[in-house]
Amino acid sequence: MNVTVTKSENYTLVSVEGRVDSTNAGEFEKSMLDVVAEGGNKIILDCSELNYISSTGLRIFLIVQKKMMANNGHFCLCGLQAGIKEIFDISGFSSIFKMFPDKESAI
Amino acid sequence: MKCKTLLIKNQIEELNRVVDYLDELGEEWDLAVPLIFSLNLVLEEALTNIILYGLDNQSEHIIEIEFKKSDDQLFISLIDDGIAYDPTQKADPDLTLSVEDRPIGGLGIFLIKKIMNQVVYSRKENKNYLMLTKNINV
Repeated sequence: MNVTVTKSENYTLVSVEGRVDSTNAGEFEKSMLDVVAEGGNKIILDCSELNYISSTGLRIFLIVQKKMMANNGHFCLCGLQAGIKEIFDISGFSSIFKMFPDKESAI
Repeated sequence: MKCKTLLIKNQIEELNRVVDYLDELGEEWDLAVPLIFSLNLVLEEALTNIILYGLDNQSEHIIEIEFKKSDDQLFISLIDDGIAYDPTQKADPDLTLSVEDRPIGGLGIFLIKKIMNQVVYSRKENKNYLMLTKNINV
């Protein structure tokens, strides 16, 4: 797994690549919470290179969403691959995250 | 009926071996890529529960994962000697809750139940048997 953080004036773009699973979710959680702690108003998580996620990873998405909403911030996702979108649908996550086809439309 | 068995230790890092094993099995048994993705997820959810909550992490335990394939079904059995735990009894999460009310976690077993066509648990001779069936080639 690789996480890349790019800060812009109005938003922070986080790109996650590879797999988020039980073996590395702690690392992903720390990266995301660091971004949240910096206090930006809008975080876009680019999932176009995310190949796999399990419930351990999903819980981190939910933690970030809760924190951002509590601060009146915005957290959105873009570029979800079909297999991952299906997991979001099953989990009822598709209705609690704003999702865009690509980062251009998320910005 | 094709049959293969993988043995892993009760350590989270062993999940990486399961990922590699599934890739090899997928090639050998000609399984579709989305199916391997689903099996990967189901096995991670089930094994994480067993490793983190079912077994004491002070001592080494072996978890047995048995794969069987017929023309139209894939069967996976997970056998461990941890505390008795029947995941099929766990209540499903309420998916209609708002973000604020949605509890963190509790999705793993639900995902297993949604992805597989049949999930059966039994306890025999101080071991947990979780038998998962997926219809394939449909």
